[in-house]
Amino acid sequence: MQDFKQHAMLPATTHDEQARQDFVGAFRGHLSGRLMPGTYQVFASRVEPAFKAKHGRAPADQEEVRKVMTQDSFYQFWSAMQRRSQEMLWESVIDPTERQLPELIERARKLSRKNRGTLRLDPELEIPRYHRAADIHLQPGGYHTDFTADDVAAGVVYDKGINLYMGGALGAENDLTGNTLLAYLREKHPDFKPKRILDVGCAIGNSTLVWARAFPKAKVHGIDVGAPVLRYAHARAAALGVDVDFSQQNGEHTDFPDGAFDLVLSHITLHETSRSALPRILGECRRLLRPGGLMLHLEIPRGRTPMEKFMHNWEAYNNNETFARFMTDIDLVAESVKGGFAAADVQIDQFAPKLDVSQMNYTEHFFWKILAGWKR
Amino acid sequence: MSEMSKPPEFPKGHRPQVFDDPSIDQLHDAWLALATELAVAFERIDTLERLLEQRLGVAREQIEGYVADEAVAADRARRRADLAHRLLRPFREFREAAIARAEQHAPDPEP
Ligand SMILES: C[S@@+](CC[C@H](N)C(=O)[O-])C[C@H]1O[C@@H](n2cnc3c(N)ncnc32)[C@H](O)[C@@H]1O
Repeated sequence: MQDFKQHAMLPATTHDEQARQDFVGAFRGHLSGRLMPGTYQVFASRVEPAFKAKHGRAPADQEEVRKVMTQDSFYQFWSAMQRRSQEMLWESVIDPTERQLPELIERARKLSRKNRGTLRLDPELEIPRYHRAADIHLQPGGYHTDFTADDVAAGVVYDKGINLYMGGALGAENDLTGNTLLAYLREKHPDFKPKRILDVGCAIGNSTLVWARAFPKAKVHGIDVGAPVLRYAHARAAALGVDVDFSQQNGEHTDFPDGAFDLVLSHITLHETSRSALPRILGECRRLLRPGGLMLHLEIPRGRTPMEKFMHNWEAYNNNETFARFMTDIDLVAESVKGGFAAADVQIDQFAPKLDVSQMNYTEHFFWKILAGWKR
Repeated sequence: MSEMSKPPEFPKGHRPQVFDDPSIDQLHDAWLALATELAVAFERIDTLERLLEQRLGVAREQIEGYVADEAVAADRARRRADLAHRLLRPFREFREAAIARAEQHAPDPEP
């Protein structure tokens, strides 16, 4: 595994802060690699047999699994640990960030000036309800809350936080999702050479930069609803020597003209939206594509068996990924058709990950899901 | 928003309860925090031992081979007993309450 790259926008840590982060990371690795598989073992060895004895059949869906698994003492223990470790992960990163916040904000201002791409913020933008209602995956304040002028804390915390979340498996620049989708494009459509690229839900620009580097002549644009993550993204891009435009916009309705892009992307973003927002975002992607343009969305797997679906949806019930539960059985082709695509122009692929098994939080069968759509 | 304000301590949203008794959820959360701080303390001790070795020539074997004299041993024994006493406080309290209840409900001794 590659070491995490210590670029200029990451905070320094004291001896104890570093030890705390290292412990949380190691503990989570232990939880996913050693304890999580046990939930499948207790399901197979005692929970499912007891269910069968009572009902004469196996649990039919994830809801039936939920009723019995949440009563199992081993599952309860794993779940309590998983939840608390998620909170501790953010706390371990928030401490050093808050301690150095004035310096980090100052550093971001200086770096931003070096980015030849623009940063366009919109204080009037209405933050969607699906972000205001609960802090997604428990990061206090979410992606969008400014706690001080020119705040970048949400970005700093997210960058280091997701590195710990996946035990470093997201790569030196948290760029695994971007690299995966890029690998998909290269494999399936090696001749597609986009000149104008949009990344929707870019957060700290971790995936956006992958595309800017892969297509150095292209104009690359990242949008997100969160101001603090965008300020951070803009400064971080400069720290890593890449020029990208960032703007604060809702992917459901942007201010770009029709047909402004050859390629519109999102990485692990759709499952953090809502039932009504999803088809609107897909429709907006279509509007923004030129004829012959391509839309690509990378999503996380949601399980195949009832037990796997139940485990993946731990996030929905315990980690404030509230919309994720609807993503389990949603038909992304039908949603794209609602957004204006012809069903024949849309396809869903599974794509093998390059991931260490010890970092798979909910199942050992991990496949990225990719939604691809052409505008004809 | 000119002065600094802090993010909230607790994330917004539903807080799941895993166990039937919420105090068990809390207990697990507390021991996990304790384990983290233990890891932090171990790491600090490890750093200190390594610095002692590098800068002051106190070899790690000397730490392993250290034998407490009588006074130090007595001091340590007192501290161990004190720690056990503190740790077991909730159980003592629980036991005393149980005894008090049992005495209350016990039938009067035969005259
Ligand atoms: C999990 S993060 C994605 C991070 C990044 N794309 C990656 O590959 O790791 C999801 C991001 O999508 C953003 N987002 C959610 N809904 C959005 C919307 N309607 N418009 C723009 N951004 C949105 C969130 O603010 C958040 O930063």
